[in-house]
Amino acid sequence: MSTWLANAIVRGTDVSDWLSEKRQAALGKLKQQSWPNRKTEAWKYTPVSVIDRGAFSPAVNDVDANAAIDAIDNLDASALVFLNGRYCEALSCKTLPEGVSITSFHNASAAQKEWALAQFASVKPDRHLFGLINDVLAEDGLLIDVEPGVQVTTLLRVVNLFSEGIEAHSRILVRVGKGAKLAIAEEFTNSTPSLNTSFAEYVIEDNAELEHYRFALQTGSALSVGGGHFKLHDHSKLHSTLVGFGSQLSRVDVDIEHAGQHAYAEKNVVYLLDGKEIFDLHSTIEHAKPNGTTEENVRGIVADQAKVVFNGRIHIHRDAQKTLAELNNRNLLLSRKAEVNTKPELEIYADDVRCAHGATVAELDTKALYYLQSRGVSRQDAQIMLNFGFINELVDRMPNEALATWLRSKLKVRFAQMKVSSPQDALVNS
Amino acid sequence: MSNALLSVTDLHASVEEKTILKGLNLTVNEGEVHAIMGPNGAGKSTLGYVLSGREGYEVNSGSAKLGEADLLDLDPEERAREGLFLAFQYPVEIPGVSNLEFLKAAVDAQREARGEEPLSSKDFLKQAREACKQVNLPADFLKRGVNEGFSGGEKKRNEIMQMLLLQPKLCILDESDSGLDIDALQVVAEGVNSQRDGKRSFVVVTHYQRLLDFIKPDFVHVLADGQIVKSGDASLALELEAQGYAWLQEQRARDAELLGEEHV
Repeated sequence: MSTWLANAIVRGTDVSDWLSEKRQAALGKLKQQSWPNRKTEAWKYTPVSVIDRGAFSPAVNDVDANAAIDAIDNLDASALVFLNGRYCEALSCKTLPEGVSITSFHNASAAQKEWALAQFASVKPDRHLFGLINDVLAEDGLLIDVEPGVQVTTLLRVVNLFSEGIEAHSRILVRVGKGAKLAIAEEFTNSTPSLNTSFAEYVIEDNAELEHYRFALQTGSALSVGGGHFKLHDHSKLHSTLVGFGSQLSRVDVDIEHAGQHAYAEKNVVYLLDGKEIFDLHSTIEHAKPNGTTEENVRGIVADQAKVVFNGRIHIHRDAQKTLAELNNRNLLLSRKAEVNTKPELEIYADDVRCAHGATVAELDTKALYYLQSRGVSRQDAQIMLNFGFINELVDRMPNEALATWLRSKLKVRFAQMKVSSPQDALVNS
Repeated sequence: MSNALLSVTDLHASVEEKTILKGLNLTVNEGEVHAIMGPNGAGKSTLGYVLSGREGYEVNSGSAKLGEADLLDLDPEERAREGLFLAFQYPVEIPGVSNLEFLKAAVDAQREARGEEPLSSKDFLKQAREACKQVNLPADFLKRGVNEGFSGGEKKRNEIMQMLLLQPKLCILDESDSGLDIDALQVVAEGVNSQRDGKRSFVVVTHYQRLLDFIKPDFVHVLADGQIVKSGDASLALELEAQGYAWLQEQRARDAELLGEEHV
């Protein structure tokens, strides 16, 4: 048993607010769960012992804001800032787009509480241990409600900042009303030693559209476990991009449920890992209804002694006829000691579906290499261009160009650092 | 007498242990345009690949010089920096690498090899836009992945655009006309003709006389079974167009027979 978990359960017992009923239910489930070890399937390759080794103190109010919110050129956005897991109005944008209501847990009105109570822990499945912990301990969060038919063009940037040694838990509940449209980015870019869990539950109603980003760019000893959970209703659309760097513990659970017909989901994931970092992604796509489409592209570059864990499950229920689902995971390894544990899983109970999955540890395309060289580009530069192009292909798919430009430069900086620590020639000689 | 730019001497080359080039000789002087025609499988594309240094194309014997440089001793990028350019028959698609980034890297690498400063992004963009315009490609093609989702004709024009930017000494056009409609063909030909300046040389590999109506060759060679079997002026292309290659092969067989008789 983990001291940290035991302690979290004790702390959870004390939390009392309008979500208490939900929290108590989660607490009951949490008590049934055991702390993961190497035999726990969902945590087989990712040790969580690092949480017990750290000494984190729960967030206190009025922490001095080390508020480095990245300025992003040419981006139409409103920043919503969490400081150590608490919504910070002072740092957040004062002018918000019209037709969308944004409220913290503490300021929620009776009407807001009503839909939030219905949504809380209903999109996120119970099986996620840290999800339950977040149910119990997330003292603050945001309720974001887009009125039916409203097309929000301003991007909502949910920026998460942490002070050193802090433990923080935050939650986001988003409802995109019928025919509405929203774009939102969850940003984690700090690398101060800290622990956070951050879970988001999205309901996309009929004919609505959500453009979603999660930038899990914390590194080093910034420990982070989080999730993004999406429920898609009839004819709704989800375009979601997840970008991860590794840290001592960086885990994301994604669930996409096709709860309505003719829903479309595109999920693109990019990771870049270096040193001894870990990035762990578990994604589950549930096709419960017919005529749904899912395309999931997971790609990354792993250097040095870093480790990637990817578990991608697609579950097509008996009624989900005419489903189109595609999942692929492609990896480039830059060192012999880099590790990829990839496991695509297809479970199909309907007979009229089209599904494909695949996982590869890829080599560079020699034809492309020759093509670049034949124009005078050195072999080494051509390799760098192709490696970067391999992940940039998914960045190119991001609908928000300003955000893509910002991300590209961040990835390039990261990528350049990776080259130093593990040149490709070392691989050839080892 | 003009200066020899490309001298290929008795070149033997193989792919996967199959011998394709069997003693090929070719001299291209500065400012000349040579057309190479010939039946399928004769080794036309192989010549371009061997000269540009594609992996898997083994040179068994012979030599190839571009000016003073011994091409066969150089890496592909060094050959390009010496001024060799191959316009590919099937240009590869590279999603994720933008055309602009790729072209800037190529131009900068070649400038560096000549001891020149890299171009500023602004100057380069201006040149790239002009090159696009010249081959009738919209400028937003520069932002797209290299050849990604381009039609056959767009890929060929993208090759010519690269040639315009890189300003090579010798251009080998590997079936740059295949799959092109007449308008695209003219664009390609105009791109090439605009670069004829009395010094730059071209080797035009093609199946059809059609391209040679637009790019007038000084010499036409027939490549068959790994060798140049006949050379002539532009009229040879017309003759080939009219009669095909069969008559040539018959003639070769007769010649061989005659030679055989002489030895008896």
